[in-house]
Amino acid sequence: MLSAILEQIVNGIVSGSVYAIVAVGMTMIFGVLRAINFAHGEYYMLGTFGAWFAIEYFDLPYPVAIAIGVIATAVIAVVVGKFVMQRIVGAPPETGVLATLGIALVLQNTVILVFGGGYKFFSGGYIEPVSIFGFTLAEQRVLIIIVCILVFVGLELMVTYSRMGKAMRAVSQNIECCAVVGIDVPQVALRTFILGACLAALSGVLTAPVNVSVYGGMGEIITFKTLPVIIMGGLGNVRGTFFAAMILGIAESLVATYVGLQFRDTVGFATLLLVLMWRPHGLFSAQARF
Amino acid sequence: MSPNDLSLSAPRRDLRLLFGVALAAAACLAPLFLGTYALHAIIIALIFLLPAHGLNLLVGYTGLLSLAQAAFFGIGAYTSGLMAVHFGTPFYLNFLAAGLLAGAVALPLGIPALRLRATSFVMCTLGFVVIGQAIAKNWIGLTRGDMGLSGIPKPYFALGPASFTISGTTSFYYMVLVIAVIGTLAAYLIVRSAAGRNMVAIRENETLAESVGIPTWRYKLVVFMISAAFAGLGGSIYAHYLTVVSPLTFQMYYSTTMLIIVLGGGAGTISGVVFGSLLFVGLSEALRVAPEVRMIAYGLSLLALVFWFPKGFAPLIDRFWLFLGERK
Amino acid sequence: MMHKLDRRAFCFAMGLIGLGAGSIDAWAEDGAIRLGIVAPMSGPNSRYGSYSLRGAQLAAEEINSAGGIGGRKIAITSGDSQGTPVEGVSATRRLIDLDKVDFIIGDVSSSVTLAMQPVAEDAGVLLLNAASSNPKITYAAGVGGFKWTFRNYPTDENRALIVIQYAVEKRGFTKFAVLSVDSDYGRAAVDFTKKYLPGLKGAILTEDYYKEGEVDFRSVLAKIRDSGAQAIIMYGNADTTPIIGRQMIEVGLAGKVPLIGNAEFNTESTIKAAPKALEGAVEAAAWLPAWDAPRSLAFVEKFKAKYRETPNNHAYVHWETVHLLAKAIEAAGSADRAKVRDELSKIKYDSAMGEVTFDDHNQARLPMILLQIENGKPAIKGAYSAEIKYPAK
Repeated sequence: MLSAILEQIVNGIVSGSVYAIVAVGMTMIFGVLRAINFAHGEYYMLGTFGAWFAIEYFDLPYPVAIAIGVIATAVIAVVVGKFVMQRIVGAPPETGVLATLGIALVLQNTVILVFGGGYKFFSGGYIEPVSIFGFTLAEQRVLIIIVCILVFVGLELMVTYSRMGKAMRAVSQNIECCAVVGIDVPQVALRTFILGACLAALSGVLTAPVNVSVYGGMGEIITFKTLPVIIMGGLGNVRGTFFAAMILGIAESLVATYVGLQFRDTVGFATLLLVLMWRPHGLFSAQARF
Repeated sequence: MSPNDLSLSAPRRDLRLLFGVALAAAACLAPLFLGTYALHAIIIALIFLLPAHGLNLLVGYTGLLSLAQAAFFGIGAYTSGLMAVHFGTPFYLNFLAAGLLAGAVALPLGIPALRLRATSFVMCTLGFVVIGQAIAKNWIGLTRGDMGLSGIPKPYFALGPASFTISGTTSFYYMVLVIAVIGTLAAYLIVRSAAGRNMVAIRENETLAESVGIPTWRYKLVVFMISAAFAGLGGSIYAHYLTVVSPLTFQMYYSTTMLIIVLGGGAGTISGVVFGSLLFVGLSEALRVAPEVRMIAYGLSLLALVFWFPKGFAPLIDRFWLFLGERK
Repeated sequence: MMHKLDRRAFCFAMGLIGLGAGSIDAWAEDGAIRLGIVAPMSGPNSRYGSYSLRGAQLAAEEINSAGGIGGRKIAITSGDSQGTPVEGVSATRRLIDLDKVDFIIGDVSSSVTLAMQPVAEDAGVLLLNAASSNPKITYAAGVGGFKWTFRNYPTDENRALIVIQYAVEKRGFTKFAVLSVDSDYGRAAVDFTKKYLPGLKGAILTEDYYKEGEVDFRSVLAKIRDSGAQAIIMYGNADTTPIIGRQMIEVGLAGKVPLIGNAEFNTESTIKAAPKALEGAVEAAAWLPAWDAPRSLAFVEKFKAKYRETPNNHAYVHWETVHLLAKAIEAAGSADRAKVRDELSKIKYDSAMGEVTFDDHNQARLPMILLQIENGKPAIKGAYSAEIKYPAK
């Protein structure tokens, strides 16, 4: 009985890691742009498609495909960032909601237009199972967990010590003062956005081997899954997002096992509503800050 | 012209009344020269008009961005459909019940939700839609889950010896037209009243409004409920027109559609919403010739709306109206 | 920022497009037989629509290149339903009024088909359904009310019965876990299974439904592994099966607990993705690419040659239905809708799956093929038909 629950917790950590990498990007983008990026899942999809394309058409090995997926998404993110996201800085919330919804539609359907609506198979990746503490996991999943930890450690260091990180914190705190101090706000916004999108793409490429199916519409579900995580973690709160992602992953795992798989998604949004009702600033912030 | 003449040309006639009459005539006579498909498109536009009016009250007048319309739309659709299928009640009962229930459900949802700040409120309303769909899917005893409700009977008016059933697109069109006109009138009266002015005050500066004595909290809650009721009414017509209601009714797509109608037509104006509704559905159907491109165009128009037409079509409509009314 | 003039030009252009839409006329050549295909072409469900349309188009091409039907060619217009009833009805209405089609094949999603039925009925347009699963479509057709709806797809009641019977009687399973898709298809098939299970002395230990697009099955598979179930009842989507297969390997279920039901277990790519998990799977399919009938194999070859992809179930059923319609039109001697409808009711059509006839609910009597995956290939165990027991009104 105990080992069964432990196993579900491990499952939860596995899925939590995926959520965490995607969510931290979205929460950082919110911190700087004050906009919920409804198109975030599309960058996850683009990363996956980039990697799939590299493997399918150019027969490149998986590690190279990872890089290609992320770079392709970065390029698209630069374009979107320059033409759309930068204009959202300082605009009312409606602007961000509508603009990112529009981007999501354009990205999703352009991919469907170009590659067709059918689902593709992702070949490549390390899917051999390994045994860790008695639990079998595909090698890929261990990789995901490791990358997740690396990402968060890296972000923590960047935000605390690097110039870019400090600039990000400044922008998320007070935009007007940034201009006074000489921080190029649009530039910081653009860079944060690209970073966030690349993280989403990275998550996509890493999970593709175990998720197998690749199709244009796959981003929407990711966006929906990530929204509860960033609310729970506190908008703009990087550390909080990590814990929120893990908690959500574990909660979903337990619900899927003991209540029923069909209620899995409800966990996310039910938690979201509960958090909003009782602790609107998130579970981990006294006040939502970077 | 003598030098003392101040006017440059003779004053224009007031064409606004004429325009209004022409519009009314066109609406009434439409079935004579429009095919079933065009009528159907207009019916869909008018079905979305009521929830859009509700959303307009919320977004345009009170300044609250909400994505929950789809949830109340769905509640209205299921209420109306279930009543018609299980009890065979006449349409006006189903219609009113849908509006009332949607508005009632909005109360316990609105109380905690309206305490939130803008972004959190948006997420909360999104949550309502998702939970709504989950309930529709899993409360199989009530909603038949994914099997959905089908075979919802055509609208029936039990007026004693004068009872009749609406069948056929033309009759449906007239019925929806009447409802839409009444709904628009209701929305117009609301915004023209003192309450409407208070709502604008809340939108412009909530703290200031509070300081002047407007009970902002109560206003926001009541507007949220009215907005939900409007959405429920729209859902009721939807159920009877399509004859099928399924958990798919609770989808974010409807919320975003209504948002586009409101923001595209011009939030904070009644005529803007009407225009937006017709334009949006018209555009949607027109783009059917290229289905793959359709959703891309939809996305691009969202972007255009946000950056180039932040006030939607309202300024254009205003200019047109002025043009008709007085000298340039 | 946009110049003021450009803004006005944009609005004007949009307005024109809107008006123009109302006057676009069907440009099919005179005398062509107009056929509309309604399927999800955009949005997340477009992966089903594209196969359906291509199957239909291939059939039309074959017929037209052989001279058409009585000299008249078939012209196909497609309508995008996006898998939602509102869009489906709009697409149907447009096909009927603007494109002036006489016959419509649609949709894939049941709720769309249900919404289309009254529309087709009012307009007197023949509606052929080739892929939906909701039994209500059939209950309401023919003598059930909608005389213009025909269904050329086997029912899931049949499917569920055949599968569970084989599982209990030939494989000796009595304890089952359910893992099906959370849609009307998945739930209805399981409901039907539950109807017959007590009689066969079987029991369901756990029941779970996955949403479309779900990718994480580890938790539920671990639960199934620990429950002692002998087989997993799966009625689901083709693209999810490989994911489940792989995760079964991860969790240690592969090779121990087979899958039974229907979720395209038989396609090459699915089996290749997780061979150990798919081994021993039992499926009742309306069709499979490996079906050993000359016409069917020819269809698979032609589809592959033209589109460079193996056809799936939806492609086949739409292809077959177009041919079925063509035969009916031929027999009627004209494209008059009422005459074609009457011909369909009494047709004896030689399809790749056997002879097809329609019962009084306009439901085609079609066999289900039972197959089992053995050594990585589908082995056909038999084809079964059954009469439907319609509920008393």
